[in-house]
Amino acid sequence: MKKKKIAITGLGIFCAAGKNVASFTESLLSGKCAIGDVDLFPVSDFQAKIAAQVREYDPLDYFGRKNAAGLSRADQFGVIAAGEALKDSSALGHYSPYDIGVSLGAGAAGMLQAESWLRETMAGGKGRPTLLRGILPDRTATAISEIYNLGGYQGSITTACSSSATAIGWGADLIASGRLKAAVCGGTDALSLLTFAGFNSLRVVDVEPCAPFSLGRRGISLGEGSAFFVLEDEAEAKGRGARIYGYVLGYAAAGEAYHMTAPEPSGVEAARVMTGALRDANVPLTAVGWVNAHGTATPLNDVVETKAMKLVFGDRVREVPLVSTKALTGHCLGAAGAIEAMATVIALNAGIIPQTLNFRGADPECDLEYCHAGKIDTPAVVALSNSFAFGGNITSLVLGI
Amino acid sequence: MNELHDKIAVTGLAAISSAGVGTDSLREALQDGNCRLQPMPEEILGEKGHFWGRAEGFKASDYMPPLKARKFDRCSLFAVVAAGMALKDAGIDPAQMDPSRIGILLGCGFGGIANSEEFLRGYFTKGADGLIPMLFPNTVPNAPASNASIEHGLKGPNVTMVQRFCSAESALLMACRFLEEGRADVMVTGGVDELNPLMMRGFKAAGQLRHYGRGFSEGSGMLVLEKSGYARQRGAAIRAEVGNIRTIGRLVKGAEDEGASRLLGVAADHSLLSLSGFASEFGMFLERAPSLPRLETDRILGCSLAMGGLSMAALVLSLLPGQRALHLAASPEGPYFAVDFNGGSSV
Repeated sequence: MKKKKIAITGLGIFCAAGKNVASFTESLLSGKCAIGDVDLFPVSDFQAKIAAQVREYDPLDYFGRKNAAGLSRADQFGVIAAGEALKDSSALGHYSPYDIGVSLGAGAAGMLQAESWLRETMAGGKGRPTLLRGILPDRTATAISEIYNLGGYQGSITTACSSSATAIGWGADLIASGRLKAAVCGGTDALSLLTFAGFNSLRVVDVEPCAPFSLGRRGISLGEGSAFFVLEDEAEAKGRGARIYGYVLGYAAAGEAYHMTAPEPSGVEAARVMTGALRDANVPLTAVGWVNAHGTATPLNDVVETKAMKLVFGDRVREVPLVSTKALTGHCLGAAGAIEAMATVIALNAGIIPQTLNFRGADPECDLEYCHAGKIDTPAVVALSNSFAFGGNITSLVLGI
Repeated sequence: MNELHDKIAVTGLAAISSAGVGTDSLREALQDGNCRLQPMPEEILGEKGHFWGRAEGFKASDYMPPLKARKFDRCSLFAVVAAGMALKDAGIDPAQMDPSRIGILLGCGFGGIANSEEFLRGYFTKGADGLIPMLFPNTVPNAPASNASIEHGLKGPNVTMVQRFCSAESALLMACRFLEEGRADVMVTGGVDELNPLMMRGFKAAGQLRHYGRGFSEGSGMLVLEKSGYARQRGAAIRAEVGNIRTIGRLVKGAEDEGASRLLGVAADHSLLSLSGFASEFGMFLERAPSLPRLETDRILGCSLAMGGLSMAALVLSLLPGQRALHLAASPEGPYFAVDFNGGSSV
């Protein structure tokens, strides 16, 4: 039986680099770094004090007072981005609510609020119970389903930084397997003291905006936000006259079984998941125009991903730029895979390969084309998007237009 | 379509729970039916009358040197040990297989929460000087599955899911699909959860003890899955086969009957009903399910978000050869899962 082709019919994003698709597209195309000061919690104790925080955000601009109080910051971002994607797709009303489901990738979820509860109880108080409402990462999927009246599958993937890439691949498969007619897939995450302090304690955060694949890079810049896609079977989408932005052509997810925080150093495992995704997509190597890297800007990750590229593309590797949009958006952890997939789809539609921002100098161990000098025009119709996580949970998505 | 077509065999089981460690202790608990919950120490909530299901019989030092055990959080310890037990039960030595063909897919509710608390307490108490970096990697919910994959060398698909009281069933669905697609030959799946005093205080603050106060618990239930043909080829004992898996995310107002019909499908000749999560409180599902003998594992072991792992392990242990059963899992606000199991037999 011929595999269904899974079309992207709706886009939605809410992050520091743009609070909707139009503003995010403008940031992506103009190369406007969103990393800056943080005022969500005190950061003076930490060596690195910056992140890509969503600024000038008032939940009451998007939610009623009661709804806003019941949703964590991560939940709110997710509901907003999913809402934009659903509205863009016009899929609501076309299918039974039971045929539309949610596949979410999540990270720290409502930890920011839960931290306040812990602090309040440590100070001898009772702790406001509302602060715990969003502590579980699955709350966003439930909220999206309730608010947009969806009755189909609900699932939340929690594999740290690869969560939402896997959620998109899995969402596409839920349609391919016939379980859903439409899937709202993506991820959401919010900055929290836990992750800010955690990555600082591991000394993998740069004091300046992160500089992927550059000489002298010192690590990540954290970020927050959400991105969602609406996916449908291409034939159904065309049948209802939906706009098609592109396709989720395939994916692969694997475990490196190497180390909780360090990537397997030869790049062989990362290469395995990239080739696995291409095999799943039935896309030849020669069709891949560029790769949206995991590209965290840690000294180790960028070298390993460069090695993986060489293993995958061989002699052709210098013709396939490896770019990181994390210098634009920050590392959005549970939402990173979805936000980067969004950047990839927008860039494919615009016919460009995005710039990797914040270049500080050429690193001899990172000797590929990273588009440090600026975005470049491309006729490419297929790109990979990599997401590698704590625990060795690695995922690669194949996206096309 | 909401069904799975290829036959998936259950060839290995593991259980760590308030009943003890291993499937024998779980089987014994199912047979005598006595509740394994214990009174919770009064000082945790400052009041009497609460029960919990800690896996008190589990001692990490029975399975690994203390120094090694220290690098894991409690949830990861459960996962590492249970995955090893399940693989052994299935007769699988990962070292003798292509590691990329064995994956792990777990439901996990509050994995990492204990490390998160300890890490943050350090900061709130002493500022940046109080941060303990080694705690941070195990604050992520995927730490249990990832640690298990590292310890046992499982390089296949590796995913952790959380979806309310159906976290393990969510994992089962994806694991079966990965086998069906050929992404792996063997998948370790199920659920893992831990329980600690902070969580109990949080449950109380959030009103969860009033609503769901039947006794929270911890532990892990795991199943080793493979395609039936693959299992037969390697001469494995097939303990059960997973049939159709149906799920809906929530009941849509005004279309509840359609939701229930989609979930429960057409009537089948089940002779056992396994209830997990809050399925026993959903009258509209139970009315549609035939009046069958019920297996309610939570009444014996307590409940957790990933309790479906233990419930499904208990169901497989209870099945007679050829017997058909329905496993029904529900979370108060959704999702809902209905899974058909068929009893197997040794080959």
